[in-house]
Amino acid sequence: MKRPMTHIRLALVIGCLASAAPVMAQWLKQPTAGVPRTPDGKPNLSAPAPRMADGKPDLSGLWQPAAILIGDLAANLPKGSVPFQPWAEKLYNERRANESRDDPTANCIVGGVPRSDAVPYPFKVLHEKDLVVILYEAVHSYRQIFADGRTLPEDMNPSWFGYSVGRWDKDTFIVETAGFNDRGWLDNFGKPATDKLRVTEKFVRKDFGHMDILITIDDPGAYTKPWDVTLPLILRPDTELLEYICNENNKYFDIIPKAGTK
Amino acid sequence: MKGLRFLIVAVVAMNTSIAAQWLKYPTAGIPRTPDGKPDLSAPTPRANGRPVLAGLWRPAPGLVGDMTRGLKAGETVPFQPWAETLFKERRANNSRDDPTAKCIVGGVPRSDFVGYPFKILERAEMVVILYEAVHSYRQIFTDGRTLPKDPNPNWFGYSVGRWEGDVLVVESSGFNDNVWLDNAGRPATEMLKVTERFVRKNFGQMDIEVTIDDPKAYTKPWSVTQQLAFQPDTELLEYMCNENNKYFEIIPKLPVSEGGSQRQ
Repeated sequence: MKRPMTHIRLALVIGCLASAAPVMAQWLKQPTAGVPRTPDGKPNLSAPAPRMADGKPDLSGLWQPAAILIGDLAANLPKGSVPFQPWAEKLYNERRANESRDDPTANCIVGGVPRSDAVPYPFKVLHEKDLVVILYEAVHSYRQIFADGRTLPEDMNPSWFGYSVGRWDKDTFIVETAGFNDRGWLDNFGKPATDKLRVTEKFVRKDFGHMDILITIDDPGAYTKPWDVTLPLILRPDTELLEYICNENNKYFDIIPKAGTK
Repeated sequence: MKGLRFLIVAVVAMNTSIAAQWLKYPTAGIPRTPDGKPDLSAPTPRANGRPVLAGLWRPAPGLVGDMTRGLKAGETVPFQPWAETLFKERRANNSRDDPTAKCIVGGVPRSDFVGYPFKILERAEMVVILYEAVHSYRQIFTDGRTLPKDPNPNWFGYSVGRWEGDVLVVESSGFNDNVWLDNAGRPATEMLKVTERFVRKNFGQMDIEVTIDDPKAYTKPWSVTQQLAFQPDTELLEYMCNENNKYFEIIPKLPVSEGGSQRQ
């Protein structure tokens, strides 16, 4: 079993969603206001991107990460092209071999950046004048991106989400994040990061229904050079975030020891 | 519980000196006195003909732990007998079954009665509250929708808000039956309906008048008022409850009293 984590996660998630779906349909299917629609009332996801009062693209909306990068953030890169330092590659291989048993999110800790962008759960972007907030369904967490012109502080409190500032370059919102602790995983598969990690995310809203996040990983503590991936997002109309309470009946540690190691 | 709270205060205090450089960022757009200090007695800011509620707010410490300190003089909690028995058990056993000990969110209204600030964001279609406590959030839909008839039971419930003059009235229902109303452990059931009236009194002060209507746990609705203080020139911290949670190491070491411990 090459990707046991994925199977367990997906089975759990799909099982829960499938059993809950008919019950929650009534309250969950609230039409999203302000979504352009075709004559038959369906959301028109290829309509132009909405704009803020200042003319910049409005990034707001409920977004679902494309499935392709969930698990392996580098899934779209040629095999072997992640520029691991030797210790980081060794640790990564250990995590792949031991069913991710030391995964912080197994213990209901947030995924952080960029991992929370590449999970099978939607997130809601709230684009305010000087602040962009992301409400993650995953682990019911959130993140603030300050866009009021401040720069990254020099000596931040190390944290899981880091400290994020954003600025505009034409229609692209560029977010720089640093101030991480050294325990974050970059993705569900367990690519390591250190407190030298600096993440750049370029948010490009291509049209009403599609946005890309161009992610650059720059961590000289774990990688020999910066590397990039592109994460496509799709807008989710007429639905809502669910309340994901990870600590309620968490079975991770019941299941993982039984999965065996490889 | 008390020991644990002191521990938390100590950790936060330790962090402050380290964190000061990045945490003390001036809040933009707030009124200031000539010497640059925030003028918290300035009038309530307004937009679109209504008070602005947005900002970083801290619950007054008075009701943290025990929301009934906000009752009017002479009022008591109208417990149903089973609910009073359960409440006394929770007081006597050091809240060992407290859901937040397992890092589950406090829900409504408990998240209004905690020792941590929260940030209110106001948008055209909703109000969002980012809670420092357990790094959680809550959406209050203000787009005119009504409460759904059959929501998925959860911890924060489902919240809708509407304006009555200068007051934002928020109604929440759709709770599960595991919610505690406050840190002291007042019970609630799936019949719980909470009404919160947000009244901003001036720039620096806001009240939340909270009404508990849960006919299964209480014989009639009852209300308390929570006071909030605006927190200028600071920010939310990343509260990661699951990181090195010591609750279940400490609780068994605390003495268990018969028939309820003292109020905290």
